Amino acid sequence: MFGFRLSAQKPPDPRRITDDVVMRFDHIYEVDPDKMAIFGQQDIPAWDTHRIVDSRWDHLAWMHQHFADTVLGMSDLGLNEDGSEPEQ
Amino acid sequence: MTTMAISDALYDELVGILGEDGVLTGKPARWNRTRTPAPFPVHRWKEYVPDVVVLPRTTEQVAEIVRLANRTGTPVVPRAAGTGLTDGATPLRGGILLDVKRMNEIREIDLVDRTVTVQPGINMLKLNEVLQPHGVMFPDNPASYPCSMVGGRIGTSGWSLIGARYGHTRDLVCSMEVVLPTGDVIRVGEGGGRKLRKASTGYTIKPLFFGHEGTLGVVTEATLELVPRPQAEFAAFFGYRDYDTAWRSTGALAKSGFATLAGVVLFDEWKLAYLRRDDEAYIEQPDWLKSVVAVAMYGNKAEVVPAAREIMRIGRESGGSYLGDEISQGDWAARHDRYAIPLHGRLRTGEVAPMSWHCEDAALNYSVLPRVREEWHAIADHYIRRYGIFDDWGMFAYTNGAYKPWGDYLVEIDIGIWEQKLDDEMWEAWLNCKREITEVTLRYGGSISACHGASRAGDVEYVPQELGGAFDVMKKIKRALDPNNVMNPGKYLLDQAYED
Ligand SMILES: Cc1cc2nc3c(=O)[nH]c(=O)nc-3n(C[C@H](O)[C@H](O)[C@H](O)COP(=O)(O)OP(=O)(O)OC[C@H]3O[C@@H](n4cnc5c(N)ncnc54)[C@H](O)[C@@H]3O)c2cc1C
Repeated sequence: MFGFRLSAQKPPDPRRITDDVVMRFDHIYEVDPDKMAIFGQQDIPAWDTHRIVDSRWDHLAWMHQHFADTVLGMSDLGLNEDGSEPEQ
Repeated sequence: MTTMAISDALYDELVGILGEDGVLTGKPARWNRTRTPAPFPVHRWKEYVPDVVVLPRTTEQVAEIVRLANRTGTPVVPRAAGTGLTDGATPLRGGILLDVKRMNEIREIDLVDRTVTVQPGINMLKLNEVLQPHGVMFPDNPASYPCSMVGGRIGTSGWSLIGARYGHTRDLVCSMEVVLPTGDVIRVGEGGGRKLRKASTGYTIKPLFFGHEGTLGVVTEATLELVPRPQAEFAAFFGYRDYDTAWRSTGALAKSGFATLAGVVLFDEWKLAYLRRDDEAYIEQPDWLKSVVAVAMYGNKAEVVPAAREIMRIGRESGGSYLGDEISQGDWAARHDRYAIPLHGRLRTGEVAPMSWHCEDAALNYSVLPRVREEWHAIADHYIRRYGIFDDWGMFAYTNGAYKPWGDYLVEIDIGIWEQKLDDEMWEAWLNCKREITEVTLRYGGSISACHGASRAGDVEYVPQELGGAFDVMKKIKRALDPNNVMNPGKYLLDQAYED
């Protein structure tokens, strides 16, 4: 039988980032589960977390497209990553 | 089986105008078109339900409905997307809820005189998807861009994120067709022109039809401004160690004088604290970061590139540290769609609770922002401590004046509210909190609302005080245009217009 099992897609254990926040995958943050007693955290399989995060980036790119043809960053301005002028 | 809240005779007449599929009497259809975004007195939801929902497609149908309403003394409440934050589209007296969502046609795209003519039920995101291949854009860009609609933008006199560059809703409508409260149909624009941007013939009537919250008629068509679609967007987010430096930097950036400057936004430390607990973009920002200023620019690349370089210089020289391309570009894109914000807040223990978002939207001058900010947070803190169902989500100040970003700001304090806990006592507490915030606004020479309107309880009581003699004129206009008080009755204390 073909089926989905949460145990096969179990996210790694969380690492603490701040007093309030934990992280299971790089750059994907979650509210500390201990702070979610009134409303418990859902079990989310790993693939679904990645899908949600990837679609968020798609959404932001799509949103940019509504307003302009290109989005300029520091390299387009000829500046360093921190916005400073490059040394001559 | 549905329970009808209107008489058979009224139902039959409405069906005669609209056909059966244009008249909805079922409970879900009526209850879902009642509330607006938070906070809504959910414990008293049933007091605001309309008796019937109608979905017209044409101006003539709207005019017939309004005439019928006059004949039968039935209230009519226009509703577009229902995202308005002052309950304008919430019926106070039952009656007919006139939902404009089926009026979503694009009637004409004029690339020569640069206008687009639409019905009021179209949404800006969808409109711009059609306009994009033509190289033009309708630049009305609220944070509800994917969902609010042209009719609601006019009804509230909306504010646009990129309004410093392109103007706000009222600057972007050349003319509109309005079904007056008597059922007469007129066109208002600049003089008698449909596609003119400026005229001097007669009284300037058009502004009256912005921000009336559906109390002066129904917009059934609007001819809108088209601007060239920008080649380039530039957004920069700067971080600061303290609010005062960020506030001064905001002033310097807003006064930079670049025509491509579309907006400057100041986030305070409460906002940062909120984002640090719940928004992935800010969680790893260093502890010293207490304030953020965002700048956005749009236009041709040849203009934006040199101007953006200057903006970087001003931002850095006035104490800002650039937060990087990823946060600047990602967070700016996310501002067009604030329904993506986390709809939870924190109790004082740090515990997560489901909360909805309330936003005060006063208009205030630049000079008073630091003092208003302190007073507003102190008020919020008092109510958070005492009642335990509110959370302070921090403050923003956005440049407010179209084409003149330096003078005044749309100032928001965002407050999370645990709506499920609302009862009469908590609701009254909430209204008192709002009232105290409003009193501060007025004391500092501000206006209750920069863009949402002030017809919600907690605000509306202060409208006569803010407007003074102009409120008497408002009542006279209401009575002259709506002799039977059928258009959205009960809003803005305008029942007073009929007290003799
Ligand atoms: C997440 C979020 C972000 C927001 N950000 C912004 C923002 O950045 N800027 C801003 O200005 N607002 C903002 N708002 C508030 C709201 O989106 C605006 O007030 C918007 O203009 C309301 O449009 P709507 O289509 O939802 O109108 P509705 O809520 O349906 O109606 C608003 C008012 O207009 C009247 N009305 C509707 N259609 C007509 C018509 N055809 N003729 C006459 N009157 C009519 C209604 O009776 C009502 O009084 C935001 C709201 C949310 C939820």
